[in-house]
Amino acid sequence: MKRNRLLAVLAVSALVLAACTSDSDTTTTTASDSTTTVGETTTTEGGSSGEKVVIIGTTDSIANLDPADAYAVHDWEIIRNTGMALTKFVPGGIEVQPGIAESWEPNEDGTVYTFTLRDDVKFGDGTDLTAELYVRHLNRMLNLSGTGSGGVAGALGTPYIACVTPGAEEGQCDEWGVKALDERTVEITLTGAYAYFPQLVATAAYVPSHPSFPEDSLVEIPTEFPYYGVGPWILESYTPGEQSVFVQNPHFFGDKPKVDRIIVRYYSEASQLVAALAGGDIDIAWRSVTEPQLLETLDGTDGVVSAVVPGGGIRYFIMNHNLEPTDDLLVRQAIAASIDRDEIVDRAFGGNAEPLYSMVPPGFLGANEAFDDKYQAPNLDMARDLLEEAGYSEDNPLQLQIDYPPNRYGGVVQDAIAIVKEQLEATGMIEVETVATEWATYLGEQINGSYAMGFLGWFFDFPDSSNYVEPWLYSGGLGSGVTTQDNEPTPNFTTPEMIELNQQAATELDLDARAALYEQIQELWAEDVVTIPLWFEPERIFYRDYITGDSSYDNEETLNIGATTEFNWVVLDTNK
Amino acid sequence: MNSLLLLFVALGVPTLGVLVYALVTGSPGLRRHVLTRVALTIPMILILATVVFVVLRVLPGDPVTSSLGPRGNPEVREAMRDQLGLDLPIWAQYGRYLGSLFTFDLGNALTSGRRPVAVELGERFPATIELIVPAAIVAVVGGILAGTLAGSRRKSATDYGLRMFSVAIYAMPVFWLGLILQLIFAVQLGWFPVAGRIDPIVSGSLERVTNLLVVDSLITGNWAALGSALRHLVLPAATLGLILLGVFLRLTRVNVIETLQEDYVAAARARGIKEGVIVYRHALRNAMIPVITFIGLQVAILLAGAVLTETVFSWPGVGRYLVERIGLRDYTAVQGVVAVFAIFVSMISLLVDVVYSIVDPRVRY
Amino acid sequence: MDTERLLPEAPQPEPLPDWEEDLARVGLVRRAFMARRWYGPDWWFVVIGSVIVIFLTLVALFPQWFAPHDPSANVGPRNLAPGEKPDVEVLVSLEGSGVANLRDLASGDREPFGVVVGTPSSEIARAAADTIGEETGERIRLRIQRFDTLEEMLGAVADGSVRAGAGSNIAIEEVLDDYPGVTIQGSLEGAEVTADTSFILGTNQLGQDVLSRLIWGTRVAFLVGFAAAAFALAIGLPLGLVSGFTGGKLDRVLSLIMDSIYSFPGLVLAIAIAAVLGASIFNVVVAIAVVYIPTYFRIVRGQTLAIKEAVFVEAARSIGARSWEILWKYIFPNVIPSVAIIFSVNVADAILTGAGLSFLGLGLPPHIPDWGIDLARGQVAIQTSWWLVTFPGLAVMFVVLTLTMLGEGLIEIINPRLRDR
Repeated sequence: MKRNRLLAVLAVSALVLAACTSDSDTTTTTASDSTTTVGETTTTEGGSSGEKVVIIGTTDSIANLDPADAYAVHDWEIIRNTGMALTKFVPGGIEVQPGIAESWEPNEDGTVYTFTLRDDVKFGDGTDLTAELYVRHLNRMLNLSGTGSGGVAGALGTPYIACVTPGAEEGQCDEWGVKALDERTVEITLTGAYAYFPQLVATAAYVPSHPSFPEDSLVEIPTEFPYYGVGPWILESYTPGEQSVFVQNPHFFGDKPKVDRIIVRYYSEASQLVAALAGGDIDIAWRSVTEPQLLETLDGTDGVVSAVVPGGGIRYFIMNHNLEPTDDLLVRQAIAASIDRDEIVDRAFGGNAEPLYSMVPPGFLGANEAFDDKYQAPNLDMARDLLEEAGYSEDNPLQLQIDYPPNRYGGVVQDAIAIVKEQLEATGMIEVETVATEWATYLGEQINGSYAMGFLGWFFDFPDSSNYVEPWLYSGGLGSGVTTQDNEPTPNFTTPEMIELNQQAATELDLDARAALYEQIQELWAEDVVTIPLWFEPERIFYRDYITGDSSYDNEETLNIGATTEFNWVVLDTNK
Repeated sequence: MNSLLLLFVALGVPTLGVLVYALVTGSPGLRRHVLTRVALTIPMILILATVVFVVLRVLPGDPVTSSLGPRGNPEVREAMRDQLGLDLPIWAQYGRYLGSLFTFDLGNALTSGRRPVAVELGERFPATIELIVPAAIVAVVGGILAGTLAGSRRKSATDYGLRMFSVAIYAMPVFWLGLILQLIFAVQLGWFPVAGRIDPIVSGSLERVTNLLVVDSLITGNWAALGSALRHLVLPAATLGLILLGVFLRLTRVNVIETLQEDYVAAARARGIKEGVIVYRHALRNAMIPVITFIGLQVAILLAGAVLTETVFSWPGVGRYLVERIGLRDYTAVQGVVAVFAIFVSMISLLVDVVYSIVDPRVRY
Repeated sequence: MDTERLLPEAPQPEPLPDWEEDLARVGLVRRAFMARRWYGPDWWFVVIGSVIVIFLTLVALFPQWFAPHDPSANVGPRNLAPGEKPDVEVLVSLEGSGVANLRDLASGDREPFGVVVGTPSSEIARAAADTIGEETGERIRLRIQRFDTLEEMLGAVADGSVRAGAGSNIAIEEVLDDYPGVTIQGSLEGAEVTADTSFILGTNQLGQDVLSRLIWGTRVAFLVGFAAAAFALAIGLPLGLVSGFTGGKLDRVLSLIMDSIYSFPGLVLAIAIAAVLGASIFNVVVAIAVVYIPTYFRIVRGQTLAIKEAVFVEAARSIGARSWEILWKYIFPNVIPSVAIIFSVNVADAILTGAGLSFLGLGLPPHIPDWGIDLARGQVAIQTSWWLVTFPGLAVMFVVLTLTMLGEGLIEIINPRLRDR
């Protein structure tokens, strides 16, 4: 699930806005030059001299490579490097540019989009991508997703794409609003007017799957390699737990990558990854190196460059509105008033993170600091007053259990939770028990709503403020108990107003008005303490100094990884 | 045929050969012993499989949720529960599980692409074999040499020093030793690679036949790959081997001391034969038999140590696979690992036992 | 690792040498002392081992007597090396900006305040602000701005984008000349006090005292080790006695089950059980204990089989002693010595296994001061803060070593086959 890694972007609002509003302007943009090299697929003699190879180390692993279902960061990275969606994010930035679609156009009310595909898009084995094949992919995604381990359509497909002919049973659909108008044109009918749809179709769910993938079942991990997409790379081989090897796609329509081969090596622990980079086994270490000591290790290693990506995940507590004691608003507010985010950032992260005072991170449309405005935490006096009002005292303290997954978000979370415990107990009126549960079990319990106060992380699916609000208002509120499982708001809480505001915001096209709506939502959020935002954790990339990115894009120092945290390998070069 | 099955065939053929040899040429007593031993192996595997089944079926997590995630739709969940037989009564689930064991179909993993567990283990098991065999060689050769030295100089400084060393090395957490060796020899000195089985670039040129990289590179005459595989092997094998070395050292020492107290040794001494000759020709030879038998018993310890060593060195073997899948609560995968370990351990112990009873006529059966 | 393999076969009857008869005539204490003459260094291993074990048990029982600090409290700056003293933290601001003291930042709003990432400045500055706030009743709220380098921070102070900043006195003095107008306004309140403290074994990533954590960790290690070994003993011993004594079908079935578990990699079984049960001390004890039950069972059963044929048991039987009486009065006492040896080695083993489980993240809940957890968390700091991974590792090694030496020494003394003739 993608939700655990997420996003955020500092100082990107202008870009997001531009992207949201300029769809009609970009319709005429044509894709960049298309030097197409057609030739035989390169054969696999490794180690031949003069070949440029870049080795990327990671602690991730491959879970699912079918674009129709995959929903994890590393899978998406491979899918978007071996393939390409209708649109794509420019490396290092957050603007949307043409991908396999050379242009697109919404209809007047913004509910139907027409995409024109380029005429030179070919899979790695030479197969042409036609509109019909693309529609076949969309149908696979909408129909099959959820039968595998990813389930991306439930988040990025079915809520947005209209069902033209509903199925016999509730929740089924016989015909989706996706049509091939001719060889090159695809028409997509939406459930509403979503200004950010062109960004949505940059996600991996909209990368076409190979025609050899069956219509009625997923290919989570191919049994035969190479694995072909329409992008610059071909996944030549995959050895589980060891490595995957990528070579250039000779049929790719865009610029040829500068290196001949990318190898991704898999490590079991972040510390092994760091040791491997320090010891020279790999050229790049990407993702999940968050422990301050590991950062210091690499900062102190000669020949290693460390760079902070202008994007990353937010971390927060999810408060259950149905379970004791967090069903009491006063209790939730008292907790919100006791947490000192600066202390967490200083002590657990050695300063390598940012305090977060709203679910919508700085840089996004309408982002504010609602929690700080309201609680000015740490504010022990306020917390004590609230607790007293709720009927607690030093002799009758609030008994609170905090549940968290100890390793999912890095071991540093264990430290952070220990600090939160100290902070809450500093009120003298709360006794905290912290319970660590392994992720697989934790996630299930969280969804079932068994935890009063649980720790989670989030990374955006697409860079828009709505993606920081909606996931907690719908779908059972991710276990927050704010809404019921069937998406109906629970009447006792203030959320009907929030849902109303959110619906207005999703379709509001005027930016100022939209920003104002999101500000209102955030204030309500802080007042009601739906969740408690804690900190923003930027991703970091580390690489050997002979590796370079592309200076023609932004963020060269992070190898052109921008706020989307998407790693586009095309930019890589090596002077080893 | 998948490579896991291949592996067991590779192990099974010599075992069968030894069994047949014992049955054909052995005395009636030996024959009876061998037959009993074979008959006991099957219930042993069954018992372990049952223990694991019982342990795993009280798991608090829901395997369907951990596999499908929160958004999996209800029909798919139902289909998956069906496929896993989670709604069947527990005895029916048990029956299915045993059935799958005997057909060597370990089911599909619940996570990471839901590939067949037998295939995944087939990819991983060779890596573990390639780690534990050299580790066993380090432990046995080092342990026997040092143990003989200690035993022949009983109560000398060398003896106490070596004994201290053997206990100290045994007292180290294996992952701690691994981390320290890694820091010194890989990161600081750069003599060996930090982690992994083979250089990623060389890896592409190596045709994988058995997935035992050393064997594969020898078969195909790929010397670059052989060098790389061996360099990657040094630290993990040394880590695992050193931990076990202490045990072999102690065992050898005790046996050498006992042998040196035998009358024939005194006689040899009386005849003026040099002490070195006595120790290395007579004492060591006689001390070897129990030590060699002991190797069979140590397979379990090697496998357990491999779990930690593989984690430290990102070695893509079964141990790391087990740890990964435990974290994901991947039932079928964990069951598969344990079943395969059980079969492997039982077969090795059968093999060693039968060989021992053929070789050493003193064994009582 | 398994302990039975260290053990001798059942004691074999052998004529007593003269000195042993001498020994039998003196009192227990004198006997122990006299014994050193015949056992040499092994005797010393046992004695020294016992003394250390007794001392460690005392530490484990009363860690608060030995630990200088609360193991879970933030008692100093993060990642302080053993014996290292932190620098004094000072306040810097632009001359004429009107900020000569943290008090001058009490405006009710959050005032931008510069610090450098990875230094204790932010913590100390905020603590100082809180102290002043409590004294004056007016809250000082700092908006902490984190800079990657001291130069960037001082630059921000110089161009006025932060109102003030804090950093180490020595580091700032070195570069201050490059930032005209920026002046050191004296130390932060309370900073002099912290600068005076140092910690014998340093502090960890949370500013906790490593020594105190080691001392409290002894308690957890002993608890896990002894409880797991005792648990296994409590089940394995009676089963072994009964199985060996009664024989027959029960014996065969029990032996088969125990042999199966015994032949299996213990850690793997413990991993599965620990993962299923979830993180807690009790669960870890259970997971480890299950693995060791067969060890006791096999040894006790073997000894019972040997002893029940012994002359004195036959004699007891012939005078009409009942089965349970024979078991309790004659067999049980004779099994005890070897059980004691296994126990001591087994505790050591359980501590190692527990550390392994913690390393894999399957052991104890993370908030417990435990060597295994500290090792697992410390491995990320192996290159930057060597003390975090070194000391817990040494602690495990020391305890396991001591217990094993004790067991080894006992074996050497008890095993008659290895005695000098």
